[in-house]
Amino acid sequence: MSIVACLKWVSHPGEPHDERFSGMSPADQSALEFALRQAEQLGRDVTAITVGPSGADKVLRDALACGATHAIRIDAPTTAAGADVATAIASHIAGAEWVWCGDYSLDRGAGSVPAFIAAHLLAEQALGVIAAELHDGSVHATRRLDGGRRELLEVHAPAVVSVEGATARLRRAGLHSLRTANNASIDVVPATTPMHRAEFMVRPYRPRARELAAPPGDSPLDRLRVLTDAATSSAARGEKVTLAPADAAERIMRALRDWGYLTP
Amino acid sequence: MSQPDVDVVVVGGGPAGSCAAIVAARAGLSVVLLERGPFPGSKNMYGGVVYPRILDELIPNWWEEAPIQRWVTRRSTMMLTDTQALTVDFRSEAWGKPPYNGATAFRPDWDHWLAGYAEAAGAQLLTDTTVVGLIRDAKGAVVGVRTDRPDGDLTARVVIACDGVNSFLAKEAGLYEHADAKHFTLGVKETLSLPKEVIDERFAVRDRHGVDIEILGGTGKVNGGGFLYTGLDTLAVGVVLKLPKLAAQQQRPEQLVAGLKAHPAIAPLVQGAELKEYSAHLIPEAGLTMMPKMTTSGMLVAGDAAALCLAAGIWLEGVNFAMASGMYAGEAAVEAVHAGDVSENGLRGYQRRLSDTFVLKDHRKLRRAPELVLSDRVQHLYPGMIANVAERMFHVDNPHPKPGVRRILAQERKKAGVRRRDLLRDGWTGFRSFG
Repeated sequence: MSIVACLKWVSHPGEPHDERFSGMSPADQSALEFALRQAEQLGRDVTAITVGPSGADKVLRDALACGATHAIRIDAPTTAAGADVATAIASHIAGAEWVWCGDYSLDRGAGSVPAFIAAHLLAEQALGVIAAELHDGSVHATRRLDGGRRELLEVHAPAVVSVEGATARLRRAGLHSLRTANNASIDVVPATTPMHRAEFMVRPYRPRARELAAPPGDSPLDRLRVLTDAATSSAARGEKVTLAPADAAERIMRALRDWGYLTP
Repeated sequence: MSQPDVDVVVVGGGPAGSCAAIVAARAGLSVVLLERGPFPGSKNMYGGVVYPRILDELIPNWWEEAPIQRWVTRRSTMMLTDTQALTVDFRSEAWGKPPYNGATAFRPDWDHWLAGYAEAAGAQLLTDTTVVGLIRDAKGAVVGVRTDRPDGDLTARVVIACDGVNSFLAKEAGLYEHADAKHFTLGVKETLSLPKEVIDERFAVRDRHGVDIEILGGTGKVNGGGFLYTGLDTLAVGVVLKLPKLAAQQQRPEQLVAGLKAHPAIAPLVQGAELKEYSAHLIPEAGLTMMPKMTTSGMLVAGDAAALCLAAGIWLEGVNFAMASGMYAGEAAVEAVHAGDVSENGLRGYQRRLSDTFVLKDHRKLRRAPELVLSDRVQHLYPGMIANVAERMFHVDNPHPKPGVRRILAQERKKAGVRRRDLLRDGWTGFRSFG
């Protein structure tokens, strides 16, 4: 097993579960496409794997129709927590060189499963990738950073790469492949590790209120200017430093403490 | 011909296609059912009433599991002018219990359910696959279909085209002589949301009982008609418009739907409802006049693709004809494959079955009805004339004594500009059709 595509059977967000409206997310489709391209380039097989009930066979059959050679379904409810899903997947793909995932699922969207899998496999990781170039022994991945900046990564096997939905368009399955995939066998295996139900956050995260002194200023307008920092030029707000990574991290932590985001 | 990929390929996962696939697969043939949407029923625009009696032959006690919205126990025919409405209203409790009569249904549910039976019978359902053409042998016989997928040719002994109104496959096979816009209407529908209790109260029904209102008039100067059906917690309201008239009047269909909803007889029924969906679809309304040749060597046509839709004013049916024609196409295909003769002659059992049953018998009997119902007199003169007669009959104008009905009729006929001989001719045509 060298190349793996992790796929999730999901419904449209906000809709009650209905198999007619369920399938692979665009991000998972991109992941599968990269896995298939890499397999063609390296001459390897692709294993498609999912965690879910029998309805989830649909995404595996779609993957088989597109060119995956092997399909595994870990029989478990779709409500399992991301860490447990990753543990279950990792236990079945030990030895995988390349693992391709969608960046996050449509229904929960935490994007944690790829990172957990990488941790289990002791693999390199490139998560939330917006562009990927396949090379013989590596993948050059581009990640989005704040302020329009990009991070360029070169990852080597074993590695987990999670991609956004727009990175690749899944090839259209041939008619006869589709027919064959409909009757292909799928390995259904039990989850060998405990699967806990995911705890969903039912409201947006709100940080605790902090007590702040009133801003200086005689008039409401003056105080508003201080609060919004509207009169200060943007150049004066920032601080440009050149530091070693460890010192830079310490500087960031100090700034966060100074600004009150972290307790001393 | 070398060994084909399958015995039967059915194009279109609607009621006709699924019934054809059920019959052929149950007979042991290898069947592929091709559907261009992501699931059968996914792209249907349908707001009508299903009369599934024909399913008794395929799915015993189908009503115990069919995904219906409401069983129609009230059937109304309404005639509208701008300010008047005359309604003939019938209700029967018998239609609200097994074996039932008609039901309102959402086709995404209905078609999905029916296709499940085709799969259970052994047919292979392939979705997201569009058939783009026919494959023919050297003699011109149809031997398969070409799809939009890579490696997308699929050969079969028999192709059953159930690809809906405006069937490209039937046209490509040369089964339609020519398409004429006057044979089609445009059905336009809004799905409106209302709480079930409100619908029950407004339409005087309970539980799963529902109402089917067919409307003559209410479409302005465009010939056509209207409809209003009750779903469980939705209403389907819309109009059916004759295409040439719609084009000539330069009116937009949604304006006509809005006009119908604003009519004094309809507005209280839809008041406060939230628009959930708007859709439009062509309907083959000309009945026998526009039907194609049903069979060619290696291919059969069923359902809307074969223009099997009855729009005869009192009766508005299509899904039952689709299911029946699909069944008969499946049976004919089985017969031909077992006999080893899928030529046009070998498939003639299809035409025989259609002719011997209600499918073509109803269409023959009502062949003059669509033209009559959509004629200018029935559309624009008679509703006003009849409504005025009713108004004068029920209007109490003391101290004047009540006028006689014959006198009112004569006066209103003259006022409407209806010639006596036209009235008699239309009455005779109506009597021959509906009598």
